[in-house]
Formats: sequence, C-alpha cells, structure tokens
Amino acid sequence: MKTCKYYFEKISEYLDGELDGQACHEIEAHLKECPECGRCADSLKKTIQLCRETAKEKVPSEMRVRLKLALQECLQKQLG
Amino acid sequence: MYEDTETNATIAEDEIMNTLATDETDHLLITRFKAGSMDAMEKIVERYEDQIFTFGLKMCGHLQDAEDIVQETFLNAFKYLNDFREETKLRNWLFKIAARVCFRKRRKKKFEPERELSLESFVLKDGLSSSYDIPDLSNNPSEQLERNELKQIINKSILSLPPKYRFVFNLRDIEGFSTKEASEILGITAQTVKTRLHRARLFLREKISEQFNEGEAVR
Repeated sequence: MKTCKYYFEKISEYLDGELDGQACHEIEAHLKECPECGRCADSLKKTIQLCRETAKEKVPSEMRVRLKLALQECLQKQLG
Repeated sequence: MYEDTETNATIAEDEIMNTLATDETDHLLITRFKAGSMDAMEKIVERYEDQIFTFGLKMCGHLQDAEDIVQETFLNAFKYLNDFREETKLRNWLFKIAARVCFRKRRKKKFEPERELSLESFVLKDGLSSSYDIPDLSNNPSEQLERNELKQIINKSILSLPPKYRFVFNLRDIEGFSTKEASEILGITAQTVKTRLHRARLFLREKISEQFNEGEAVR
C-alpha cells in the first residue's frame, strides 16, 4: 500500500507530465481519493502558474543602450 | 539545369539544418555573425537579452548585477561564437554561459553557504495544514497595483531560495527548459534537477502564501 508521502514526492513529476502511464494513472486515482493530496497538488500547480505569469522581466532601455555600445566596442577590438 | 542546382542546394541546406540543434533563425544569424556582421550580433542580443536579464535578476536580485551578467554572457558568447558548432540550441548555450557567470559572481561575493531544503519538513507541514492561500491573477487582472505587489512578493520569495534550488527553479519554471536541458546547462543529473525543483516549488508555495497573507492582514 503506497502512502500519501510516496505520492507527495511525485507530485511535481506528475504536474510536469514526466511520469509513465502506470505511475500517472496511480497518482491521479490517489489525488481523486485523498482530498489533502488533491489540495496539495492544486496549490502547487497554482504556485507554478503564478510564478510563470509574473516573473518575466525586460531590460530597461538605458541598460539596453549601454549593453549595445559595450558589445560593439568589444567586438570591434576583437576584429582589430 | 538551374532548377536542379537550386533543388540540390535546398536539399543540402535541409540536410544541414537536420544535423544542427539550432533553429533556422539562429543558424542564419550565427552564419552571418561568423562572416563578420555586426547586425547579426545585435539581432542575437535582441532575441535573448530579456531572457538572460530575467535569469540574472532572479538569480542575484540586483539590477547592477543583472546588467553585469547580461554583458558578460554576451561578451563571452561572441568571443567563442566562431567555434560554436550548433550541436546544442543557441539559447541553451547562452544560458550555460550565463549560469557560469552567476556561479563566478557568487564566489566573488562570498555568498552565504548552500542550505539544504529537506523534504521531511514540507511533509510535516503539509500534514498539519494542507491549506495554502495562493493568489490567482486571473481573478483580477486589471488591478495593476496588486499585480505589482504580487510580483514583488514572488521575486522576494524566489530570491530567498537557496542558490542551488534557485538555479533549477529559474531554468525549469521561469525559462521553461526541460529537465534534460536544465541538467545539461547546470552539469547535474536529471534526477537532481527533479529533486531540487520539487523542493523549490514546495518552499515557494509556503513563502508566497505566508507573504500574501501578511500583506492581506495589513490592508
């Protein structure tokens, strides 16, 4: 009999689609039966989505200009 | 005759593309760079600078450090791009360089020693209270202020991850690399990537939930 802890360790692999068919079927059945593990999987999924949606950054425009100049200068030196 | 030559050239080009890991756009830019095109260099920077900047900022938390990481990454990349044989995607190669720059920066600054995140601590906490209050952006996308506050909470939480977990989380969940790609970029096994990613996510769930609730209590 596999315990909640066993499935708890596999939740990320399940969410990433990295479990094989049998293991995936088993964990899905467990998440349906066990409300606590089901909530755990849901909150982990929401955490990943939230981080993905808010984490992207853009290079500030002044930095973009500085970077371009530094790279051009360096490359011109390399090319001699 | 002309048509045959053109067809043969297309087939030859297709065969070359099939043996390369880089996509068509990158292949073209790399070829032009090797022929001395400054414009190709700028296009490569334009394509990847935001991604490397995001990675640098999420790894170190300071604008100046992130700028240094972007600059050093591209300087190194262009120094060695003539020898790049396109056996890996250009994006993966750039992130491998960026990860090395971050490692070096950490060593120079004598950051805090690596901390382990034990799975046991999350299991116990999870057993006691399985309810985590994770905000849902889709409920209220128009509230820019709240979105900015949330972004700060998330950035702070990611920065509080011990570095070796932060590297894996940023590559896998923010940049979207596969387990295999992240393992190649960091030079660790796929199993280590999986283990660290799971613990990083559990840690972040707890941190974000705590900070979100603190913020709600203050309002």
